[in-house]
Amino acid sequence: MDALELVARRICAKRGMRFAGQVGEGTFKQTFKVLNAQDTPLALKLYKSVGSTGRDQREVKAMLRCQHENIARILAVEKVANAGEEHVAITEEFFLGGTLSSKGQLSLKACKAIGAKLIGAVGHLKELGLVHRDIKPDNIMFRADGVTPVLTDFGVVRDLADSSMTPTWAPRGPGTPFFAAPEQLNNEKSLIDWRTDQFAIGVTLAFSMYENHPYKMGRTSGLEILERVAAREQPGDWFVTKAEQDGVPVLTRMVAPWPIDRYRKPRILGQAWDQQKG
Amino acid sequence: MSVVHQMGHHSNNLIDLPEMSAYSGAIFSPINCTEAEASQQIDDVRNSRKDFDIILDPQLYVPATQRGKLRKWEYFPKDVDSADLSSSRWWSDLNKKLSTVSRKIKVNSVCSPVVIPKAFDDKFYSMSVKVCDDLLALSASQKVRVFQTLLVNLSELSDAARSPQIASIISRTEADEIYLIFVSSVIPRRELTAVDDLVGAMRLIRSLEQDDLKVTVGFCSSDILLWKTAGASTCASGKFFNLRRFTRQRFEEPTAEGGGQLPYWFEEGLLSFLREGDILRVRKQDLFSEASKRNPFCLEILALIDGAQQTHADLKPWLKLSWRQFLFWFANMEARLAGREITSSDLLSAADANWKKLDKAKVFMEERDNDGTWIRDWLNVITEFQAASH
Repeated sequence: MDALELVARRICAKRGMRFAGQVGEGTFKQTFKVLNAQDTPLALKLYKSVGSTGRDQREVKAMLRCQHENIARILAVEKVANAGEEHVAITEEFFLGGTLSSKGQLSLKACKAIGAKLIGAVGHLKELGLVHRDIKPDNIMFRADGVTPVLTDFGVVRDLADSSMTPTWAPRGPGTPFFAAPEQLNNEKSLIDWRTDQFAIGVTLAFSMYENHPYKMGRTSGLEILERVAAREQPGDWFVTKAEQDGVPVLTRMVAPWPIDRYRKPRILGQAWDQQKG
Repeated sequence: MSVVHQMGHHSNNLIDLPEMSAYSGAIFSPINCTEAEASQQIDDVRNSRKDFDIILDPQLYVPATQRGKLRKWEYFPKDVDSADLSSSRWWSDLNKKLSTVSRKIKVNSVCSPVVIPKAFDDKFYSMSVKVCDDLLALSASQKVRVFQTLLVNLSELSDAARSPQIASIISRTEADEIYLIFVSSVIPRRELTAVDDLVGAMRLIRSLEQDDLKVTVGFCSSDILLWKTAGASTCASGKFFNLRRFTRQRFEEPTAEGGGQLPYWFEEGLLSFLREGDILRVRKQDLFSEASKRNPFCLEILALIDGAQQTHADLKPWLKLSWRQFLFWFANMEARLAGREITSSDLLSAADANWKKLDKAKVFMEERDNDGTWIRDWLNVITEFQAASH
């Protein structure tokens, strides 16, 4: 049995909860499904090591500040000692509706509805000076109704009021490269703001609808796509044309190479999104 | 789309001139007057032009400057020589005083304070945004608009990535308007000619305007042609026009009292500033533009010159007329560009053809560098800008 699973089981025993299995693993933490006394499923996230990166504290601090229907809520936080190591345990809502990646290809209608909610969520983050930096289909989950998206996993969240944890020498900043904006891929810290999340939402929605990255050209490989994004080339013509034809041209501006060419304010993006014909 | 006065020493007497009615506002400088004088001037302007937009530029660019009456203003920091300019609190204290003064003298708008930095790096621009947002929050309840001041080192814009980088950072501002100043080392009376720098400058303006940020370009000269082509909403110029280009050195000059200057005539047909002798040479070649023939101050200047020649008397001073001649052209040309009666490219092409005629006729201007060579540079700038825009 994995050491963190053991810790998770101990927490369950202590709190009168039932352990239901591991549901995810990231660089810094593992997520387990647990059931409380009322049989309500919850997500128990365990950091692999406390204080090793400081990201655990930043994640908790950021999430506790958020109050938005489409952003995951923290229910409890505690520190747990095991075998001489200390772990941070976060209990969150468990989303029965699955992830965006599990939903398969999105319809235009679903894309518009989900997009509107996600824009609202990043607008809330912007007000708090937070940048999620890892928006992707796996980190968008759905409530039990299957249609309400929730932004999860704030493991690499950036609070713009705090100093950056990413070293300047690093070739790229944290996040999932496939969905990352050029400023993340190039570790251009001074250019990171809410428009970085706007880019990721654009790629996430485009990928979920068209099953291709908007910067894909012909038979470009995944690596070549990343190179195109990092070099700030333009999105593929196929994507621009398709988004226009489908009545969602706002997607094209959302994934513009430079932040200045994306939407400046969430309110303006939200209005443009709602006014689309698609 | 408009033009505004960049106020200089005793510029207030230009505002009320009927020929200057195209100016929709003025950027007041605290260098040339005290708070009380500014307040009086603003009251006077309001009496004659109710909708006139009055903007205060706090002129913190070189805090240690001893220029004019700047240090007498209430907002001007007393600890400026020892201040930690990276301190948000210091800026916030300054903003509070600036906000109070703005309300007191009843300006419509105020530009956020900035200093000319040692390095125009990303941190400088991020700090500029923070300072502006702080001032905006303080001024919101007072109905005073706030311009995000944006100082850009023109020579850095030759790097094609620099314009979008700066625009990306500065567009975080909560303000809706940008007061853009290009800092250069080009000496007064010479045109900006570095093609790559100018293309970058135009891209910067276009990016900000496309993001719904209205750009007012300060301290313009004939380069207004380029800034308007890039889409700048407003351009500002003053009676000192090319004599007061925004360079660091201008803060080391003695405060202008209006004396010691030579008068110039701005000729649209050549897009050039002409000295008295040049005016006669160009007239002989019949190269005055229609704009000059319609400019009332051109007619006055010619009448003075002709009168002096006919009577063999000394030519009366025409410095004041030269300021007005330029300012009239500036506003008139902007209106024609905005109304799509003309394009910058057409004006430049026409000027290029006229310079060719002067070369052929072996006509040379009094100042060696006044040879029209920047015209072809500017044509290239527009071509490259337009190519990059597609």
